[in-house]
Amino acid sequence: MQISAEAIFKAVDRYSAVRGQGTLANLLAFGRVLKEAGLKVSLSQVIDASRSLEFVDIARRADFHAVLRSNLVSDKEEIALFDRVFDCFWREHGPEDLPMESVEMAPSWSEEKHGDSLDAGGSLEEVVAQAAGEEAKPSEETERVAVPTYSPCEALNKKDFSEMGIEESRAISRAILLIATKIATQVSRRKKRAAKGEEIDPRWTMRKSIKYGGEVIQLVSRKRRIKKTRVVLLCDVSGSMDCYSRFLIQFMYGLQNELWGVETFVFSTSLSRITHLIRTKDIGSALERISRSVVGWSGGTNIGRSLYTFNREFAPSLVTHRTVIVIISDGWDRGDVGLLEREMRGLKRRCHKIIWLNPLLASEHYEPLCKGMQAALPYLDLFLSVHNLNSLIALGRRLQKLVA
Amino acid sequence: MNPKKLTIDKIQEALRGEQYICDRSLATVVYLAITLGKPVLLEGEAGVGKTEIAKVLSQVLETRLIRLQCYEGLDANTALYEWNYPKQMLRIKLEEVSHGDREAVETEIFTEEYLVKRPLLEAIQSDGTTPPVLLIDEIDRADMEFEAFLLEVLSDFQITIPEIGTIRAKVRPYVFLTSNRTREIHDALKRRCLYHWIDYPTFEKEYEIIMTKFPQVRDHLAKQICAFMQQVRQMNFYKRPGVAETLDWASALVMLNHRELDEKTVEETMGCIFKYREDLHHLKEELAGKRLDLNQMLKSSPELPA
Repeated sequence: MQISAEAIFKAVDRYSAVRGQGTLANLLAFGRVLKEAGLKVSLSQVIDASRSLEFVDIARRADFHAVLRSNLVSDKEEIALFDRVFDCFWREHGPEDLPMESVEMAPSWSEEKHGDSLDAGGSLEEVVAQAAGEEAKPSEETERVAVPTYSPCEALNKKDFSEMGIEESRAISRAILLIATKIATQVSRRKKRAAKGEEIDPRWTMRKSIKYGGEVIQLVSRKRRIKKTRVVLLCDVSGSMDCYSRFLIQFMYGLQNELWGVETFVFSTSLSRITHLIRTKDIGSALERISRSVVGWSGGTNIGRSLYTFNREFAPSLVTHRTVIVIISDGWDRGDVGLLEREMRGLKRRCHKIIWLNPLLASEHYEPLCKGMQAALPYLDLFLSVHNLNSLIALGRRLQKLVA
Repeated sequence: MNPKKLTIDKIQEALRGEQYICDRSLATVVYLAITLGKPVLLEGEAGVGKTEIAKVLSQVLETRLIRLQCYEGLDANTALYEWNYPKQMLRIKLEEVSHGDREAVETEIFTEEYLVKRPLLEAIQSDGTTPPVLLIDEIDRADMEFEAFLLEVLSDFQITIPEIGTIRAKVRPYVFLTSNRTREIHDALKRRCLYHWIDYPTFEKEYEIIMTKFPQVRDHLAKQICAFMQQVRQMNFYKRPGVAETLDWASALVMLNHRELDEKTVEETMGCIFKYREDLHHLKEELAGKRLDLNQMLKSSPELPA
């Protein structure tokens, strides 16, 4: 959903001809503008909105706004955008007494705060980013409070995980939760007895009927088992990954806390297991504990040796044919490439899938040319980028297909 | 209260009468839901009063509240209706002994007498003068299939039971769906609903809520509580406390006869606000590090109109 303020004005302008021909025509035009701004608005919603308007006093702007919003918006994330378009479209006047010709392009909704940046025709994002800057001081206008909430999401979708606020890390947690539930709710073909199953379990029904003298009184049902996939995270925390490390920790922490049976390791020149360190609800203290106990954070990289250690010491007990291995690394390796390849092959033979997440993959010009990455490529089931929220959401979708 | 004679102001007033303080925009949505008969989808963080509004509304309208709590694996049998198998079996058994009419039994065991009604069927079948309030709580916990099924019920307000026939709602229930956004609700369902996002209350609103629920709380204490909650919600806790926690805390403080908040009081009673060990720990640290300064907090909170 990227739309500039200019685009909103242009869209509003385009439909100016149909306006002034009654509420429904106005509303339809409004719906179109919303659609162009990227909101999902259906015709039936517009019609319902116009029906709703019959029941309220549309001279009261707040009510008018509330009615349209409740009808046309269906997600919290859309509210900020809706409010912008609303202010832009309906301006200060009520819908009926809108002077068609005399409307100036000067945006009335930019008012005091956001005025200058809009005149310059800046993108909505910039304005929003500016608004977000002002978020720090508690806003007294309830109308405006919604505006900044637009920014974290919008900006976060594109910006690298380097500086994150609370809202942003919450958005990440939500994305991770989605990923986690997708992995965790894989259904098996096997069935088990369940109180609310989808089909009757004949064997148990017969068994239960014994106590009623062979009379079937109680039907027992069964359903498909939920397969528990084990996930092992191997995370590169060497110097070259520094700018992503905050996100990495958040990711490891989020996944491990949402999912059953996640094992987490970090590596640079050597490998350390940190599962027990991040088994907590407080990310701050987890961070502290990790930095205290992990040697070689921000150091050099030796993926081959780290994998060697993993394969010898941990893989036998942790990795089965149902395990998904997730490696997060940029692939810059200073160790022995031959060793890396051997260990990748060994790991591949043992596990279900290997996923490699590479933050560099996001940049257009990146090609996995460095030797380490090249050596690992043939053994990967999935080679994806993680560098921002969008990529995280995409990862969720891919994972679902992969493990199914 | 007669739902036909409602206005937005009256709703807001009536809800306030039942000790539910809401914005005008929420009152507008409730008003529309009643006049248009459209379901309402309420979203918001935990503990901001999503479930409460349905309960309070049912009291205001003096009608029944039918509640369907969603959970993973909730299916049509639990939500709609189910045949009372054991009763049917027994009936057949009895008939076998007395050598009754087979066909008669067959039709009889598929009548309403042998039907176990679940919330949705109950809501549709109810025939009072005022429609019941149907609360479908935490829809995000149910599976996608159930959502699709719900879509069908909510668009036509009718249920077809193959053995009996189609049951149409005599009066459309007022439907409220709530979601905590642990997953996205499908667009098709969202489109059928009026949408409202309930945010954490502002300082003024939270103050009003406390004063309404606990009139005996001293003014100063109430302000301190609100300022504290506002501040804490800005900080990075695993679970941010909602209004429900505020009220728990206020009632605890009243019980303990506290007239003022100080650090010791906060530490003693913080179990009311935070339910995770890590959060409690975090709070202690913040208090010790003076990042949460009780005196400073009140000064920086907005002035209330007298």
